[in-house]
Amino acid sequence: MAEPNPETQQTAMIGIGEYRVGSFPMMTIGLGSCIGLTLYDPQKKTGAMVHIMLPDSGGRTDRPGKYADTAIPLLLKELDKIGSSNRSLVAKMAGGACMFEYFGTNLNIGERNTEKVRIILKEQGIKLSAEDVGGKVGRTVTFLPANGGKVSIRRADGVTSEL
Amino acid sequence: MKLSAVQADAIQELGNIGAAHAATTLSQMLSSTVSMSVPAIKAIDLSELGNHIGDESAAMVVFELQGEIQHGGYIIFYITRESAIRLTNTMLGMTDTERDFNEMDQSALLEVGNIMVSAFLDATAELLGFIMLPSPPALSIDMAHAAMESLIAQLGEEVDEVLLFSTELICEEHKIDSDIIMLPEISTLKRITSLLEEMMKGT
Repeated sequence: MAEPNPETQQTAMIGIGEYRVGSFPMMTIGLGSCIGLTLYDPQKKTGAMVHIMLPDSGGRTDRPGKYADTAIPLLLKELDKIGSSNRSLVAKMAGGACMFEYFGTNLNIGERNTEKVRIILKEQGIKLSAEDVGGKVGRTVTFLPANGGKVSIRRADGVTSEL
Repeated sequence: MKLSAVQADAIQELGNIGAAHAATTLSQMLSSTVSMSVPAIKAIDLSELGNHIGDESAAMVVFELQGEIQHGGYIIFYITRESAIRLTNTMLGMTDTERDFNEMDQSALLEVGNIMVSAFLDATAELLGFIMLPSPPALSIDMAHAAMESLIAQLGEEVDEVLLFSTELICEEHKIDSDIIMLPEISTLKRITSLLEEMMKGT
């Protein structure tokens, strides 16, 4: 069977609190204070992406992808099912911005999200290989597991970069 | 919270009155005719937000709803990047639409947002007898989805669905297309609907 061509595969759009696991292209649009986190297994050329909104679930279980403390363990469990152990995974994250200075002074959710993700990845022994976080800037993130786990970021002004 | 047909109608009427006052102030500032759409009410699951608000560049002037209610949600003056440049050009007597936003543009947008949102909330306060005051404004000129999801994140961790009330305000002469969007917190929404229901019983 021929390898599926990543260029022609349909991109999965990952909304707030959603996640996907696989080797197809994945995308989160317009990240503000939210985090787009990718976990990639270089051997299998597969991975997972989640669109995290808040750091703590406070015990809520209905939308595990929405909170950092429930999203990461869930992704690890899903990846473990297909044979990717924590040791073989590489993490990248983008987002965690503060879009509004005035409101941000009270409660910087972007920064808290970023910190929480870092802490949990460390606890789980997963290497965070690259990140593009913070600032006052929105980011649209594309993840291509079949293409070496490439993560590209586009900003509102059209500037693109790669993690 | 699910709105009944009657509640939805009542809120639509409230939005109509608020937006009409906001449209009048915009019309005065531009010395031109401004038309408005019928207010739309959308219940949006968080995971679907991207289907309604994309990553296009837009200016958003955001106010927190305060007054008789604390942290009552947000009211937003939303305008696409192209329209925002045309708006400030019209106000500042300029014509170049390819330029970047400068401090003058930002001040102008904050001021326009302030005037329009104040007019909107004055009108709804008069109707409801319930005072909602705008906080000082905050401005984002960036991806619309990024700004909106950041506001929703601040509404609280239990929020899985939001209600957006939006009314489009259009100035055809200057090709300016904007929206007034209200993103009420759940207790604000309950308060507004119960006040509207009391009013309808009274008449």
